[in-house]
Amino acid sequence: MAEELSFEEGLNRLEKIVQTLEAGGLSLEEAISLFEEGMQLAKICNQRLDAAELKISQLQTAFDQEIHNKGEAPC
Amino acid sequence: MRIYSVDEVTGYLRELLEGDSLLTDLWISGEVSNLSQSAAGHLYFTLKDEASQLRCVLFRGERLDLTLENGAAVVAHGHISVYEVTGSLQFYVDLVQPEGVGILHLEFERLKAELEAEGLFEVARKRETPPFPRRIGVVTSPGSAVLHDITNIISRRYPLVELVLAPTPVQGDGAAEGIVGAIEALNEMEGIDVVIVARGGGSLEELWAFNEEKVARAIASSKAPVISGVGHDTDFTIADFVADLRAPTPSAAAELAVPHRSELESRIQSQQRALVAALGGEISQRGTELVHLTNRLRYLSPDIARYRQRIDELTKVTSIRVASLLTIDREQLRSQELELGALSPIATLSRGYAQVQHSATGEVVSRVGQIHRGDAIDVRVSDGMFKGRVTTLKKGLQAWLKNFPSKKG
Repeated sequence: MAEELSFEEGLNRLEKIVQTLEAGGLSLEEAISLFEEGMQLAKICNQRLDAAELKISQLQTAFDQEIHNKGEAPC
Repeated sequence: MRIYSVDEVTGYLRELLEGDSLLTDLWISGEVSNLSQSAAGHLYFTLKDEASQLRCVLFRGERLDLTLENGAAVVAHGHISVYEVTGSLQFYVDLVQPEGVGILHLEFERLKAELEAEGLFEVARKRETPPFPRRIGVVTSPGSAVLHDITNIISRRYPLVELVLAPTPVQGDGAAEGIVGAIEALNEMEGIDVVIVARGGGSLEELWAFNEEKVARAIASSKAPVISGVGHDTDFTIADFVADLRAPTPSAAAELAVPHRSELESRIQSQQRALVAALGGEISQRGTELVHLTNRLRYLSPDIARYRQRIDELTKVTSIRVASLLTIDREQLRSQELELGALSPIATLSRGYAQVQHSATGEVVSRVGQIHRGDAIDVRVSDGMFKGRVTTLKKGLQAWLKNFPSKKG
């Protein structure tokens, strides 16, 4: 489940879990299960940051074509 | 061929002039003369130079950055058309500036005022840029140092993102059209969360594309929020005013577009600490509750001992009662057994008595009178029966006693 979350969703869910835990009123089983989920999310979020590599793509624009044709590249 | 009315011709001229791209938006410099003001507050004057003159009107409510007087050297902005009532060519002025100000500054101020009046710079129009963008469109010159910086900064700070480059020239002829085209192309793409429009530092002329109306309007109508990063932090362009977020430089635009990795890491870390603290709190609270309950139990324990003792006593009493009941029953049973034994015919038969039945009728024979000589009889003794036939009948006690086995002793 947690594997498919985006970084943002993961972080939001983690913060929500902390809020829920801090609010109290849970059974010990619920608290432990939330704790485990939260720790897992923190791990996944960190892994996402560590593993990420910037993706770059380029749109083909009319002016891009023109530039290539003319062979000039203004700053 | 046909004959036209005057009105048709002036109307045609008017359409012609108002459809001309140069005449609909131009600056003209000249000297003011024949200045007059109508009752309605409109200003009429003539702009002239050594060779020519042009009739001008400035309607009440248009912008006037100086007091008009005859002989003043000014630069006026507006459009040329025909005033059909007099059939004369007129310059419809919407802005007058003193002579001596550069044309780019004039145009900058004019457009800024116009777009501001339209409400394009209003804070309420500015959209928030997403805190965690997934796709960022970058409108800048391909292969430039600016693009290199933006890529580096984003890769270092938040590599979870995808950059979509929309290359365009950012100065010179066609730059404005290129920027507009790039913004539009990005807006046609799915999932662009924010657009960075950037260019390195330069002169007012070099940055001019970012002061053009079509660029400003493309930024204003962009679906995705736009961050501008044009020139240095002292340069302000119209694009900066219209953008949802103005960054002082291209690098700053990249920084504003994404969260910072180290901030995210410390945010995750603090959440982890909060998790541990919260669960620790839950557990220690349970521990406290447990101690509480144990104390209460201990306090209650004498009662439990008392009840246990009472139960023990009751159990003892009960078992005695049950045991005595059982004893009584057993004795009764034995005496009833004896009684039963006494009444049993088997016991009688085992003492040597026999039961005689009339074979034909099944009647138990207890008197001589019930039977006749030759009758068949069934005789039952303690361990079985036999059949016989009556040969002799004698009545009376004497006959009964004869040969009766006498008791011992």
